[in-house]
Amino acid sequence: MNRFIFKVKTSLAAKVIFSTVLLSLGVVWLTGSALYSQLSDGVKQVNLESSLAEARSSFFNAQYEFLLVEGANTDIITETVQKIIISSTEVSLNQDRKSIFLNRFGKSAPPSVGEVAPDYSTATDEIIVSSFPSDLRQRVRASDLVEYKYAKVKYKNREDANVLIAGKRIAIPDSGKYEMYLVYSLNNQNTTLSLIKNSLFFTGLALLFLIGLITWLVVRQVVRPVREAARIAQQFTEGDFSQRMKVESSDEIATLGTAFNEMALALNSQITRLENLSRVQQRFVSDVSHELRTPLTTLRMASEVIYSAKADFDPNVARSSELLVAQLDRFEKLLEDLLEVSRFDAEVAVLEPVDFDLVRLIERCIEDVRANAHDHPISVEIDHETEQVMVKADIRRVERIMRNLLSNALDHADEKPIKVSVVATSTEVGVGVRDFGPGMDQTSLSRVFDRFWRADPSRARVRGGTGLGLSIALEDARLHNGELDAWGYPGHGAHFVLTLPLIAGAQISGRPIRPQPKDYPQPV
Amino acid sequence: MTLVMVVDDDQDLAEMLGIVLTGAGIDVDLVSRGDEVLEVFRNNPPDLVLLDVMLPGLDGIEVCKLIRAESMVPIVMLSAKGDTHDVVRGLEAGADDYMVKPFRHPSELIARIRTRLRRTNADISGLLVIGDLSIDVTAHEVSRAGKKIALTRLEFDLLVALAKEPGRVFTRDALLGEVWGYRHSTDTRLVNVHVQRLRSKVEHDPEHPQIVMTVRGVGYKAGVLGGS
Repeated sequence: MNRFIFKVKTSLAAKVIFSTVLLSLGVVWLTGSALYSQLSDGVKQVNLESSLAEARSSFFNAQYEFLLVEGANTDIITETVQKIIISSTEVSLNQDRKSIFLNRFGKSAPPSVGEVAPDYSTATDEIIVSSFPSDLRQRVRASDLVEYKYAKVKYKNREDANVLIAGKRIAIPDSGKYEMYLVYSLNNQNTTLSLIKNSLFFTGLALLFLIGLITWLVVRQVVRPVREAARIAQQFTEGDFSQRMKVESSDEIATLGTAFNEMALALNSQITRLENLSRVQQRFVSDVSHELRTPLTTLRMASEVIYSAKADFDPNVARSSELLVAQLDRFEKLLEDLLEVSRFDAEVAVLEPVDFDLVRLIERCIEDVRANAHDHPISVEIDHETEQVMVKADIRRVERIMRNLLSNALDHADEKPIKVSVVATSTEVGVGVRDFGPGMDQTSLSRVFDRFWRADPSRARVRGGTGLGLSIALEDARLHNGELDAWGYPGHGAHFVLTLPLIAGAQISGRPIRPQPKDYPQPV
Repeated sequence: MTLVMVVDDDQDLAEMLGIVLTGAGIDVDLVSRGDEVLEVFRNNPPDLVLLDVMLPGLDGIEVCKLIRAESMVPIVMLSAKGDTHDVVRGLEAGADDYMVKPFRHPSELIARIRTRLRRTNADISGLLVIGDLSIDVTAHEVSRAGKKIALTRLEFDLLVALAKEPGRVFTRDALLGEVWGYRHSTDTRLVNVHVQRLRSKVEHDPEHPQIVMTVRGVGYKAGVLGGS
């Protein structure tokens, strides 16, 4: 039932069919009822007229017979009564049963030969006479005409039945006045009526079924293209623009199909145009980066040659050579990062997983970063619960993530210690890099992974980061199906947490290290 | 004096390389077209070839294959592309090492060149055995059942590095340090490609190596089959 309601609610076809059938049911019901009442009235009328005509002739016949035997002896009269009873209850072809009831009323005729006048009162088929309607009997006794009434009578050994009773007053010689009734069973009429009723009912049902079927066929014609359009639109969202609707006629549905196909074509060409545009752009960035490498190599070597001879130079020239070397370093780093970003944008970044010990890699990164940060007295503690965490990941990318996180932490540590923690579960590993510098507010936190975004433009350039480090780190982490989360609070430092699946590409089910650091109290 | 052949189509870079190498006491032969390399190479065989990938005339990868076909001279590829695809292609063509432009320091380039030119394992001499291979370190020869196997210098160095401490597991990093002279590098592709190449020459069945064995998750070691 619930499924049915669901279907009616969600399917246009079911909805239309359901309401059409419901409305048709009302119409069929009304017309059926009217038809039935007219038909049954007609049947009853015909039946009544034929029954009454027959009853009249029976009564007339009885009266005529009795007239003939007037003055005859009792035996002959009795015989005549018997004859009349038999002839009156004789059933014709289309009749079911006919009963007779004779009853003497009023005072009996004066006995002709000193005897008591005989009483011919009788009833056939064991009719219970008391169940006769009394108003009919009064009318019959008082009237000279044939009176009739529909009534329900009882039988001694049969079920009660609806009958037509016709009655007339007659006189039997040497006996007295009688009321004579003919009781017509309505069984046949009822059978006819129920036959009509059943035919109407089944015709109605068949009609409803046919209406449902026709509606379904018609609705399908309309709904099929709509469904097809929906299916194709679904495929569009999945990126498949090759599907088209079939247009076979020139009606509204065909218009829908044509419009739909035109839309698909327009969408497709628009997307292709945008794709080409971005491909050209990415290609351009990549080409520029590659083309810059050769002159940059020459530049670097030239600057190194000059730098190595700086002892012989005037102090300004010597310092200039130092700046030249430093800026070339920065320029190169920026070029590398740009190239990497263009690879991510072009979605051509490939993961090259190998098995290695993450803890050892982190220790090496810390050593290197610490060596490069000789001007910052920074202590980096590593606190890991296991000696070794074997992972299958792209070592180059993981190393880059760690270097980016560590140098970012160094940039913002304000010469306070940095804490690195490693926690592994059976499926993933978390690496937290915590600094206790100025921290970040919510706005900064939400933009910290944006390209070229700097928390504090006035200070971040000191160490010469490219502004792409964290966004590349995030892309690197996601390429592994991992995640990089950031936490920060003004005045309480920042915490960056890298979560990687132990096997690159597997799903991570949680965070072994929560971004909210343990040392920071839950905000009240 | 040592002679290095520099093949690069960028005149300025080639000249700069010449200045740096000459400054380090190395003679330089400059070639700017790929299709001229082989002729110069035959006329004046260098001790090492510094080869750019993108060359007019003939692609650097093809040039590398041609040189390798007739000489075991160390080849260092120069590439403007750091993409694995190009690096692996260069190494598979027979290069021993590669450097991605721009180099971190000219001194790094010189160090690499010196590593490739140096007689490695000068401290050990005599005969080493792994499996059914015998390695004559002094004569720089590898043979199996009296039959010589031709290896490049780098492949030889790699084999000796493993063979001189049989049973020791070398991480890829350790091999990079020992054979290529890298201090900090995570570029294990270099090791992987050369191990594959070495195996294809010395193993009976490179799919089931018995000489250079993989230790999963760690690195490589020399096989001890028949070594007793």
